Formats: sequence, structure tokens, C-alpha cells
Amino acid sequence: MAQLLEQIINGLVLGGIYALIAVGYTMVYGIIQLINFAHGEIFMLGAYFAFMLVTVLNVPFWIALPISMLLCAAIGMLIDIVAYRPLRNAPRLSALITAIGMSLGLQNLALLIWKAKQRSFPSEYLPSFFLSENAIALPSGADLPYRDLFIILLALVLMVVLNRLIYLTKIGKAMRACAQHPIAANLMGIKTNRVIAITFAIGSALGAVAGVMVGLREVIEPTMGYYKGVAAFAAAVLGGIGNITGAMLGGILIGIAEALGAGYINSSYRLAIAYIIMIAVILIRPSGLFGKPMENRA
Amino acid sequence: MRDKLTSKNISLFLLICLFPLVTYGTDYIARFLFDQGIYLPIPSGDTILRTVIDVCLYILLAVGLNIVCGFTGLLDLGYVGFYLVGGYTAGILMTRFDVSYWVVLPIALLNGALWGLLRGVPTLRLTGDYFAIVTFGFAELLFRIVKVEEWLVGDIDGYINDIPNPTIFGIELNQLWHYYYQIIILLVLVVFVTYRLLHSRIGRAWVAIREDEQAAESMGINVSRYKLLAFAVSAAIGALGGAFLGPFRSGISAATFEFWESILIICMVVLGGLGSIRGTIIGAAILASLGEILRWVLPSQFGDARYLIFGIILILLMRFRPGGLILKKV
Repeated sequence: MAQLLEQIINGLVLGGIYALIAVGYTMVYGIIQLINFAHGEIFMLGAYFAFMLVTVLNVPFWIALPISMLLCAAIGMLIDIVAYRPLRNAPRLSALITAIGMSLGLQNLALLIWKAKQRSFPSEYLPSFFLSENAIALPSGADLPYRDLFIILLALVLMVVLNRLIYLTKIGKAMRACAQHPIAANLMGIKTNRVIAITFAIGSALGAVAGVMVGLREVIEPTMGYYKGVAAFAAAVLGGIGNITGAMLGGILIGIAEALGAGYINSSYRLAIAYIIMIAVILIRPSGLFGKPMENRA
Repeated sequence: MRDKLTSKNISLFLLICLFPLVTYGTDYIARFLFDQGIYLPIPSGDTILRTVIDVCLYILLAVGLNIVCGFTGLLDLGYVGFYLVGGYTAGILMTRFDVSYWVVLPIALLNGALWGLLRGVPTLRLTGDYFAIVTFGFAELLFRIVKVEEWLVGDIDGYINDIPNPTIFGIELNQLWHYYYQIIILLVLVVFVTYRLLHSRIGRAWVAIREDEQAAESMGINVSRYKLLAFAVSAAIGALGGAFLGPFRSGISAATFEFWESILIICMVVLGGLGSIRGTIIGAAILASLGEILRWVLPSQFGDARYLIFGIILILLMRFRPGGLILKKV
């Protein structure tokens, strides 16, 4: 029982992290129908930026986190402007190959800079509250570290903020308009390119938060963007790609499925579970659990 | 019909046939110079020949991938899965059941085609991104399976060691030049078959599907059947490459079949120009040798920088020459 509860907590934390990454995929896909493979790499860079700020420049953790978010937002925007914007009217295959090239390039750039070494935040640089021994003992015998509670709550808060941003603000309205019909939105005076760049920035900033959170719990390495990125993409597909609420719920479902699968089946198949869910959803219900049925978009 | 027996073609043919002599020649020259007290940092003949075989293997794979990516216009991110199927079919049969290499080759070919169909049937109606994602997931699942399932492969991380060399009339083909001629023969066969397919009714049907699936269907082309044929042929070629790899490297491991290998092969096809056989061959030759050359030139700690360069090549190509480096813009 305690094990089950622990796995579910694990799954929730992982799910919150996946949800944060998945909204980045899904928002971009919703507007320009591009699978931004480089998003996983931005998430990885977010973790490294915070790590470098904290360990090399001795910046306090609470300041390093927003700086890392800003840096990632800038990089996300830059990638859009440099690589994707010129291909807006090119065949979809070209943009997809560019995204793969971007992902490959960034991952190996990170490998070149930081080497294939696994790192984690040294505990002396972190607020004591994040250390794994500080935990709430739950009545059933499982432990809930404050760190995990913090990650779940932070993910929730950010999701609510994002939701309000999209439904209540002007820029959110512009984003929804671009997702529905970019040309019509443009005719109504919305600067589509700017809205797309802002979408990349928001998604990337959330990805950076997820990266730092993974750095707190697990290790930071150049390939983390690829592994976690695929699982988060599976979450976006599960929730119905283009659907932001769906991505949040999909993230949590994938996180729990992965934690339970790793705990009870075989931990080596941890990633395979996300792949299987992703393939099954695409083959059986391509619009995802919460998406509208999609028209044929070749 | 132009005369194909030009002096250029004949000298190219002779160069390909006599290439092993050239590499052994460099060894003699290097040794001669070394005796004279001159040391040239050129790689040994064996290294050169081995690299050339690797490059030819990549050309084979790129030609196979081009059938799906170039002719039918679907982005296959999981081509390495078929390479893996071929490699492990050959590896398991040859080490555990002592099957002769010459029997294993056609079995691997058929097994590859079977897996191509298995993956092809559910993905028939998918297009674009979704096809890419499912193929990616498929290859990753196969990769995980051989990495984890020890009972299937025999060792952890998918290691199969001591795959025997092929024998012919009791002679063991264990020299590098044996492998060189073997891959050249396979490559010529594969290129010939693809070329004939492309310039047949089947090839025209594939191109029609790529250009407009609905129009092709309304002209009476059975889209599903032709797509499945393309998947099967492409997968069979990938599996053939995998079956060759095992004895050549005398062992395989799961690490050979990582996702990035698929991307590397895609990069070759894109560089040469999607849909062109000649372009694909040239693209693969350029990129595969570039990879090997960078491996020598770059200090070992920067070995992975070549993937950085491949990424940049992909981005620049899509931006400035989406039709490929060699072909004119299509």
C-alpha cells in the first residue's frame, strides 16, 4: 500500500513536469502545426542554465529560476525567428526536418559544452527545504518530500496562470485566434509572427521550469531533453494535440502510468510505456482523449 | 539511348573493382616513406577500406530509406528499426542456430519486409507528422526490446559477439576486401532493383501518391497496395544492411541502432535530394565520409561534434536548398 502511494506521488510529480513540457509542444502545434522537436532541448538547457547560475555564479536558487526561464524564452523565440519563420510557407516536411536538425544540433552542442556527465544541484546551494530528507510522513507509511509537494503545487499554479493568460488576456485571445485561422487573424490586424514568437517564449519558459524541477529530483544530462521530451510529447498527443487543458491532464496520466509501470513491470520499460501510449492514441484515436476530431491535415 | 560505355564510366568501374589494391598501395607507400625517415599521418589501408565499407553500407541504407521518404513522401523516423531487425535476425540465427550466412541473408530480407508490412498496415492512413511519430516510436520500442530482453538476444544491452564470417566453398571470407566486394555486389543489386522499380509502373504510382494521394487514387492507383509495397521494399533493404553489419563487425549491440542513426540516414537522403537515387548515393557518400573524416580530425573529446554539424547541415539545407544539394531546386 505504501509502495502504491509512493508510486502515485512519484507519478503526480512526474506528471506535473510532463504537463509543463507538453503545453509547450501543444501550443506551438496548435498554431503552426509543427512538432517542435527542439522543445525537449530547451527544457534541457533550462536545467543547465539554472545549474550553472547556481554553482558557478553563486546566484541564489530563487533568482536563478526566473533568469533561466527568461534565457530559455529568448532562445525559444530565437529558434522560431531564425529557423522556423522562413519556412512558414514551405512544405510541412521541411519544417519538421528543420526541427529535428535543431534538436540534434542543440543536444550535441550541450554535449560539447557540458560533456556526457550526469550532474545534480549540490545540496549546499539549495534552500534546505528541497533536501529529500525533509518530508511529510503520510499516515500509511509513505513519505512525501516537501520538494515533491512543491513541484506539484508549482506545476498546478503555473497551469492555472497559463489558462487564465490564454482565456482572459489580449495576447491569449490573439493566440486563440491564430490557432483557429492564422490568415483571418492576420486580416483582423493581429501580428501573427509576433504572436507565434510569444507562444514559443511562453512554452520555452514553462519548459525551463520543468527542466529545473527535474534537476532537483533527478540528474541533469545532455540527453534528458530527448528522453523527457518524447514522454511529454506523448502526453500532448494523449491529451489531444493543440488542446492545452488536454496536455495538462495527459501529462499527469503519462506520469502516473510511467511511475506505476516502472514500479510494477520493469523499470527498463519506463520510456516504452510512453511510446506505447503514444502509438496507441495515434492509431486508435488521433484526436486524443480530449480533442475535437481532426480534419485531414496532410 | 546514350552509349553507357564512356571512358568515364569504364574508369569508374575499374576504380571500384580495384579499390582494395589502392588502399594496400597506400600502406606500401607509407612504409616506404617511413623507412626513408618521413612520417606521414595518413590512416592505414585497412582503416581506409573499413571506412569505405561503412560508407557503402550507409549508401545502401540511404537508398532503401529514399524509397519511403523520397518516392512516397512520408517521413520515416524509424528506419533504423529495420536495420536492427536485419542485424538481430542474422546475429541470432548465425550464433545460436549456426545457420549459414547465405541462408540468413534472404531470411533477413524477408523478415525485414514482414516487419515493414507489420508497421505499414496500421500506419497506412497516417500522413505527415503522425506517420513520423509512429515510425519513431516503433523503432524506439524495438530498440528497448533488444536492449532489455536478455532471453531473446542472449546478453545485456543487446550484445551479440562472435558472429562468424561467411564461408564459401569451405573458404572463410574473413578479409576486409572480401567484405568490400560483398557490399559492392549488394549495393549494385539494391541500386539496380530500386532504379528499375522507380522507372516502372510501380515507381510512377509511388511518385503519383507523393504528389497527390487523392488524385492518384481517383486515377485508379490502389494507394494502399503501392504504399505497402514501398514500405516492404524499403524495410527489406534496411534489414539486408543489418544482416551484412553483423559478420562485418563480428558483433552487434543495441547502441548501433539508436534513434540518431535514423536521423543520420535521413540527413543523407535530404542532402542528396529526396526522391533521387543518384542524389541519395552522392549525399550518403559525402555525409558518411564527412562523419569518418571528422572523427579523425576532431580531437576525441569532440567526437560527438559531428552530430552538431549534421544538425546544422539539415537546418541550412531546408532553409536554402530544400530540393537537396545536388539536384536543381524542384
